[in-house]
Amino acid sequence: MKKWTKIIVTLVLVGTVTGGIIVYRIFTKPHRDVTTETAIAIKAQQLFEAFKNDEATANAKYLDKAIEIEGEVLDQSSNQDGQSVVNFKTDDAFFVINCTFKTNPGELKPGSTIRFKGICTGYIPDANVVINEGVLVP
Amino acid sequence: MKKIILLAVLAISFTQLTAQKQFGTRNAKVSFIATNDEDVKAVNNEVASRLSDNGQLSFSLLIKGFKFEYAEMQDKFNNDYAESNKFPRAEFKGSISNIKDINFTKDGSYKAVVKGNLILHGVTQPLTVNGLITVKAGKVSATGKFPIVMKDYKIDASAVTEKVNAEINAVYQ
Repeated sequence: MKKWTKIIVTLVLVGTVTGGIIVYRIFTKPHRDVTTETAIAIKAQQLFEAFKNDEATANAKYLDKAIEIEGEVLDQSSNQDGQSVVNFKTDDAFFVINCTFKTNPGELKPGSTIRFKGICTGYIPDANVVINEGVLVP
Repeated sequence: MKKIILLAVLAISFTQLTAQKQFGTRNAKVSFIATNDEDVKAVNNEVASRLSDNGQLSFSLLIKGFKFEYAEMQDKFNNDYAESNKFPRAEFKGSISNIKDINFTKDGSYKAVVKGNLILHGVTQPLTVNGLITVKAGKVSATGKFPIVMKDYKIDASAVTEKVNAEINAVYQ
């Protein structure tokens, strides 16, 4: 075999393997599992105040982090994909912490105090803080 | 003079009483799919939306709330393309230009022409969407579809796609 042919064959092989690994990684990398992460524990009211007072600081502290929130259930509903959603009360009647479960927590009564662990996706002014991909903490 | 002030106050409070019926949800759904690769798609079920019967309509969502089937794509989308740490929110504010055609108290499907501004990736662009308002047993919902061209919003996702089709579905409470 000529020297050049060898080099080309090697390059093609290396390219195919690298490409294969990249594709393999894209399709097999697992999603985050919040249950295995250490969470920041905080009360619903405190989380609301943190974002209301200074969104940039609160983003740096809580955005994309695992949060374990404790608070009073305002209401429970389902989203369009059938996941359970709980809103936590704050002292502002129009503002809640909006939490979506990835595993069904069963019925949660308005007025009861629960703990929820999930990933904080951020703050929507005049509406809510969002936490999703969460589970009920017993 | 006092009479005039009194009349003005009455007039203002009267218009506010009659004009404002608000519908809202914190869990509207927005999804998108790349026009050239149907594996590239994501859903956000935590979209806050308000609709007023005077035609005002708003949507606000968190970029990190988009869930992809593949985690690696989700990371790339957040870190390299939408830059969700720098621009955590996308917002649309607009109004239904043919609001007179829509009767929120009567069951039916109503075509709605929605005109407003979309703020995405820190860039504001005018947007017109032909949507549909549905009223059924007092429940109001809104749906709409529109394309988003990446370069209009200074998003460099050329390695994946130049354009996505977005879809909105809001069921108001």
